[in-house]
Amino acid sequence: MLGFVLRRAGAGLLLVFVISFVTYLLLSIPDNDVARALLGSNAPESLVRAKNAELGVDRPVLVQYLDWLSHAVRGDLGRSWFTSENVSTAIAARLPVTLSLMVGVTLLTALVAFALGTWAGVRRGAADRFVQVLGVLGYALPGFLVTLVIVLVFAVRLGWFPAIGYIPLTDSVSGWLSTITLPILSLSISAVAGTSQQVRSAVIEVSRQDYVRTLRSRGLPTRTILCKHVLRNASAPALTVLGMQFVGLLGGTVLVEQIFGLPGLGSMAVQYTTRGDIPVIMGLLTVTVIGVVLINLAVDLAIGLLNPKARRA
Amino acid sequence: MRRTLRTATAALAFGALLASGACTTDGDTSTGATKTTLTIGTMTPARSMDPIDAGGGGTPYFQAVYDTLIKREPDGKLTPMLASAWKYDASLTSLTLTLRDGVTFDDGTPLDAPAVKANLDRFRKAASAEAAQALSTKSVAAPDAKTVVLTLNGPDPALLDSLSDAYGFIANPAKFGRDKPFATLPDGTGPYELDAENTTTGSIWTFTRKSKYWGEAPPFQKVTIRVFDNENAIVNGLKTNQIDAAVLQNVDQQVAATSGTKLKTASQEIDLKLFNIFDRKGARVPALGDVRVRQAINYALDRDVMVKQIQQGRGTATNQIWGTQAPGYDKELDSYYAHDPAKAKALLAAAGYGSGFTLTLSRLAALVPDSLAEAMKSDLAAVGITLKWDDLDQASFLTKTFREFKYPGVVMNGGQPAKDWATVSASLLPRTISNPFGDTDPTVEQLAAKIRASEPARAATYAQQLNRHIVEQAWFVPLYRMQYLHVTVPTVTAVPQAGLAVPALYNYRPAA
Repeated sequence: MLGFVLRRAGAGLLLVFVISFVTYLLLSIPDNDVARALLGSNAPESLVRAKNAELGVDRPVLVQYLDWLSHAVRGDLGRSWFTSENVSTAIAARLPVTLSLMVGVTLLTALVAFALGTWAGVRRGAADRFVQVLGVLGYALPGFLVTLVIVLVFAVRLGWFPAIGYIPLTDSVSGWLSTITLPILSLSISAVAGTSQQVRSAVIEVSRQDYVRTLRSRGLPTRTILCKHVLRNASAPALTVLGMQFVGLLGGTVLVEQIFGLPGLGSMAVQYTTRGDIPVIMGLLTVTVIGVVLINLAVDLAIGLLNPKARRA
Repeated sequence: MRRTLRTATAALAFGALLASGACTTDGDTSTGATKTTLTIGTMTPARSMDPIDAGGGGTPYFQAVYDTLIKREPDGKLTPMLASAWKYDASLTSLTLTLRDGVTFDDGTPLDAPAVKANLDRFRKAASAEAAQALSTKSVAAPDAKTVVLTLNGPDPALLDSLSDAYGFIANPAKFGRDKPFATLPDGTGPYELDAENTTTGSIWTFTRKSKYWGEAPPFQKVTIRVFDNENAIVNGLKTNQIDAAVLQNVDQQVAATSGTKLKTASQEIDLKLFNIFDRKGARVPALGDVRVRQAINYALDRDVMVKQIQQGRGTATNQIWGTQAPGYDKELDSYYAHDPAKAKALLAAAGYGSGFTLTLSRLAALVPDSLAEAMKSDLAAVGITLKWDDLDQASFLTKTFREFKYPGVVMNGGQPAKDWATVSASLLPRTISNPFGDTDPTVEQLAAKIRASEPARAATYAQQLNRHIVEQAWFVPLYRMQYLHVTVPTVTAVPQAGLAVPALYNYRPAA
């Protein structure tokens, strides 16, 4: 198990280097004139040159990248070109918002999707059809539309929740819940739709296996068979989907953060990427890639714990 | 099992809903009592809290923590602030400021002339977007603790306005010389202090009222400026009282904020949508070098249709770049080039382009929506001019349009200052954003020089003459003035600022 973890961690580290290097190259395509964007279109050329020198973008790209890397490995992600704020501080300030969303959506999805999927897979018939229709609907409705309708109904019309903003968990628990409930709800709909279908198929698939039939013929209670055998074996594909959805949420939160005006990483990425703020983009990228590697590792470990066969694969 | 599952599902679906029964908003929940907090929604983030990054739509952030030397009232009138008095010499090339007594920075250091000189010198040397405000200053002197003298290269009618804007913000010089001294920690003499704990740069800035301020205490104890990247969220925030005030540019959102809400609205025409012809000598597109061709383009466009359909009636068609609040504005010039395709064709034929020509322009979808792009294309096609759009992303749009000048002009938004000289110096003088190829003619030169060196009343006459000359010469193809909507909740009032798209921070008050 330790070897597995170390191998994965090593591969993850390599991935961070490769992705950061390629991204830096792509971001540095000379078409993007950051000093001009900073100083406005009517700034004299001499000022623009001075600004470029101040930012260090007049050096060769490789030198710039190595400079960035040597600082990054020491934990210094630099300063934003546009706002001069410390990149690590800026990311740390916004991480709780995005993490709240991601963890909330994943927990809600896991519980609701497992419940619905198992219900449909075990009961079949009308229950199954109901869950399938829900699944299709959840997938078919465009995310932004669902979110806009949710805001309009629950925040603007009914006034049950705030329409915008985020209150940190450390400030007020009820405030935090009130600000993240609607965003989590809107993000969970398609996630529940996808995952519940996965759970349902897995439960049906496992229920059809010979050993389940054998267990049943021996008169074991349905509940024991379901909890001890069926769900345990069906959990691997569902966990994989859940893990993928968690990773997907890193990007998926962008829209919801914009509609609810949440100061998270998604809206930050959009703001700073369109401006070509390389230190911030690189910082976000590094944090994200490390996050993805960790999530995948956690999912693999969880599957391994639940299903010993997977550990040898 | 079945029951457990059902209970679990139900609990989850409604748990969050119940748990948040104590639904709180982070706005001010006082009912009836005078409002003590102000939350402004905007799409303009502050670059930093350093005065060298001040200017434009970001000005209110700076007004919270810094004072300017001169204050600009909503109607554009200039009144004392850190400078209690100011005086020009006879040649208008030397400005003497007298500083107010009893003003201190956050650390207790008194404000004096050397501190002001240090700020003005720093601004002049900074690689800043608003550096042009300091261009006319040759040198700054501080002969005694209360007096600052600016020596100019020549008369600058915009200087006093600049000193009420980015150039005039005064920060604590004790922090100069440090690395990014005020980026996230401002230090000025202003009425508020930045509440760093409740501030997320790029997203939310919170300011709390200082216990000791030299001037009249501001009406709100707390001011929050929240940044959004779409006006939809702002309108939702206004409707749920989480935002108290905002300026909306998007026509659809303006309609959403106006209909069926209790919000107070006031409209203001600030920005101008125009086709700015760079290539007035015909270096890129020879046809544009002929004044008749430029006039033909002006005649060819049906601006009334644009206003009606693209702006849903929220705007005014115009043929001049001067805004209605400037003395040089001339109402007649709004319809100088009334839609007349036949006249356009005749002018093109007279200029030798009877069979038309092709015009290729860069396009940033945020500036030129599809509807406008199509309208211009079909109007010009009707007189024989083929308009092609190169769709670009923001970075390459800026570079190719304003740095490499690969196109003969650009369709953009122009500001409409309330002062004539601001229009002249920003749009007409050689090598400004609107005149990158340095076009000029004797009339422009003479009138600009006269506006620069004259008393306001005389200057207004010259400005009107210059405005007419520019329209006749068709330097620009102005399309329409856009209407911005100032929206506030019933408990707050905001007075629009002349010539600026956003109200100054001083213009907000609790509703009586």
